[in-house]
Amino acid sequence: MNARDAIFSALRRLRPEHLLTDALDAQARELAAAMKTCLPPLEFSDLVENFTARVTADKVGATVERLADWSGLPEAVARYAETNGLEKEAALQPDPRLTALNWGGVRPAPLKPDTMLAVGAARGGIAETGSLVFHSGPDAPTLYNFEPLHHIVALEARTVVARFEDYAAAEKGQPQPRNVNFITGASGTTDIEGVLARGAHGPRRLHIVFIG
Amino acid sequence: MNAPAGTFKERAHKALGDTNLKVALDRTTGNARTKRAAAVAAWPDFDEARKQSAAIKDHALDNFAYYLEQFERNALASGAKIHWARDAKEACAAVIDICRQAKAKTATRSKSMLGEEIGLPHALAEAGIRRVETDLAEHIIQLAGETPSHIIWPAAHRTREDVSRLFQQHHRDHRLLTEVEAMVASARHELRDDFFGADVGISGANYLVAETGAICTITNEGNAELTTTPPRVHIVTAGIEKIVATTEHALQLTRVLVRSATGADLTQYTTFHCGPKREGDRDGPEEFHIVLVDHGRTQMLEEMPEMLRCLRCGACLNHCVVYRKIGGHAYGGAYPGPMGSALTPVFDGLENTRDLPHACTMNGLCKAVCPVDIPLPTLLRDWRAKSFEAGYEPPGVQRALKIWTFVATRPRLYRAALAVALPLLRRLGKDGWISRLPFASAWTEARDFPTPPRQTFLAQIASGEQQ
Amino acid sequence: MTNTGGARQAAPKVGLFATCLVDMLRPNIGFSALELLRAAGCDVQIPRAQTCCGQPAYNSGDDGNARKLARQVIEVFENFDYLVAPSGSCASMIRTYPELFKDDPALSLRARTLAEKTFELLSFLVDVRGFRPANVSCKASATYHDTCSGLRGLGIKTQPRALLAAVQGLEMRPLEGDETCCGFGGTFCIKYSEISDAIVAEKAANIQATGADLLLGGDLGCLLNMAGKLRRAGATTRVFHAAELLAGRALHAIGEEKP
Ligand code: SF4
Repeated sequence: MNARDAIFSALRRLRPEHLLTDALDAQARELAAAMKTCLPPLEFSDLVENFTARVTADKVGATVERLADWSGLPEAVARYAETNGLEKEAALQPDPRLTALNWGGVRPAPLKPDTMLAVGAARGGIAETGSLVFHSGPDAPTLYNFEPLHHIVALEARTVVARFEDYAAAEKGQPQPRNVNFITGASGTTDIEGVLARGAHGPRRLHIVFIG
Repeated sequence: MNAPAGTFKERAHKALGDTNLKVALDRTTGNARTKRAAAVAAWPDFDEARKQSAAIKDHALDNFAYYLEQFERNALASGAKIHWARDAKEACAAVIDICRQAKAKTATRSKSMLGEEIGLPHALAEAGIRRVETDLAEHIIQLAGETPSHIIWPAAHRTREDVSRLFQQHHRDHRLLTEVEAMVASARHELRDDFFGADVGISGANYLVAETGAICTITNEGNAELTTTPPRVHIVTAGIEKIVATTEHALQLTRVLVRSATGADLTQYTTFHCGPKREGDRDGPEEFHIVLVDHGRTQMLEEMPEMLRCLRCGACLNHCVVYRKIGGHAYGGAYPGPMGSALTPVFDGLENTRDLPHACTMNGLCKAVCPVDIPLPTLLRDWRAKSFEAGYEPPGVQRALKIWTFVATRPRLYRAALAVALPLLRRLGKDGWISRLPFASAWTEARDFPTPPRQTFLAQIASGEQQ
Repeated sequence: MTNTGGARQAAPKVGLFATCLVDMLRPNIGFSALELLRAAGCDVQIPRAQTCCGQPAYNSGDDGNARKLARQVIEVFENFDYLVAPSGSCASMIRTYPELFKDDPALSLRARTLAEKTFELLSFLVDVRGFRPANVSCKASATYHDTCSGLRGLGIKTQPRALLAAVQGLEMRPLEGDETCCGFGGTFCIKYSEISDAIVAEKAANIQATGADLLLGGDLGCLLNMAGKLRRAGATTRVFHAAELLAGRALHAIGEEKP
């Protein structure tokens, strides 16, 4: 018997299959629903407000600003670069919402392992933890989220959902992207004595710009 | 795993005498406990959520074959290649084989306890493949030539001062750093080239999601994505028990997992990986392999299914009074602490590891903090029963219990024996205390023992003596 | 059952299980339990045929001998309304008897019946009898260690504190790590004495740091461990089972011989 068959025959012997697919699906849904009755409370009912509170909390440590629309983003990026003593040069995630903008004073640059500043656009956000959601694809290569030292991410306020369950419900049945990244704050590590230090391998700073 | 040196007691003895270890353990586990407590305090229904989390894992395990097959189907459809391994040897062979086919010289690795469990670091070295550990703690212990001593903080036995010296010795930047932030920056600099130069990236998986065929990694540093995205080949090694039904279940479990591990609401990076690079993708691996490993899981499904729920959060280690005193290396297996004491006998044989389930005070805190409510003390007690039945217990213990039971099931004999024993014992006392007990010197090595009364409680009641 | 206007229900019949440690080493806890239970309106008996609950065998994995002892406890105590023990650890053990007899339906049922009416003393006084001590005073400061099997096995945390709050003059001080194991663990402290020593040393240091006159707790095993360590460390903390204080019998602490 090959390894696969040996494993499956042991599993089937110990846990004979008894439920039909529909019944299993229903059971899985019930379990998820039961969990929803005991979730950690949201501090604020306004989703952007809750997102902001979570992601700017000490233990996450991102910064946040809010713009009325996309057009103000290049200027916000320029401001960020200036405040942080960076050159006005940024790797732009090839998202049409970004590439369509007039970048004026910010020079677009290719993404490199030592990129100082990259600008991204999130697909959505999760209010309960202040997490950004990215689906990899031609307009969202994974490494834009990991190579830069400073990462500025634009997030449309209307795409923020309350809970992970809301995200899962919206994605149910959709094709699975190659990578789904939930990003919650800048890269950090607690590997030395359990003390949080930032910029382990990914970005040291995460700045989120709400749009709308 | 390399066979550990000495017996458990010898290793524990050595650890207890290591004052540097004590400092490191107190700092790391102390920080971990404080942060977890704060996270749990902010979630009034946390205890209920633990129970629900256990039910979610159990659901997947109760329908194990169904979900594992569904996972396999969906993963294959995404372009992943699946490899099955019954044991550690088959698992390592599968990984090495993939590396050889890819003509890999360098492999980056993001922390995976399964990798330690199956001895992957050793197998890679034997195959002549350069291994670069990218998780900061794994990087530290790779420099030190050690094995992990904690499942979340593999370098929990190292103080910041130790790390500083190691980095000074091994990094290109030879300054002696004092700030943790500076040490982290030095490691970032040191590992950057390898992330982008490796041929193969090896990761573990926190979940195998049946409904999508995706695997999930959960990290704080971002090293998992930097390990798995740039190289041509991504290899996942995962125990089959990582199976969950849906993405929703995986995310729900992550809530309790992360709070239990580091006290955060969510780790910085939670990533679902599904198959290789797709059309139009600018990055991502060209090959995506998943090695699914049994290595005792099917045996556990029969003998201690609750343990298969384990999310590897490390909370039971941080809260264990024994772990906090002796650290991880004393346990001698890939996994230390309460969960390690339950698991290691499966991998290394009970006969060789019987100390582990016994070196526990049964205080139950591990179960109380476990995010999936694993009855660890019960599982350890079950190992003790198996060990007793198999005759692995020291003859002295077996005899003592036999005699005690013989006497204690004969109340008259018991009373008579105590009537003789107590006055004898009393003679050893001075000022109310005995400082050396003849039959239990282990007690009096560390503590005094109060002089017993002249007569037992029951004897005093019988003689109508009301003190 | 109807409870007619103000009529008192008959006093419940309580079998006091002293536990082997109390029986052998500290009868004062047994007498204290007896007095408290009587004060709480119970009809208390102390069966002569009691010895050990089987915990040392059970925790050593020796199920065969554990079952022999468990069977004896069932036989001796099953006809009482309640089994009460001044120990969270022994009460927890008796509550696990059904598990021990899971392959023997008849005994398993008897075990379950007994388990359901088995209580640790302090929680029994509060939860079942709604009892508070009257006219007990003790001018001292005290700290409380929550012994693990009581705390996590039986959910005992508030009950001893509620009882102690009724003691006049007693000042309670918080203990750092009051829910952390003291390192006793039954046979653990003998089998792994070095590890146990390291654990109890930390506990003793925490107790001393409170500066309290007294250390109180609900399990003699743990109290002996801590008292023995405190004494070895040269501390002057006096150690009592909470019941001794509540019964007004806290005259001689553990290790203080009667004159
Ligand atoms: S046994 Fe529970 S507490 Fe311990 S690592 Fe596993 S999930 Fe975490």
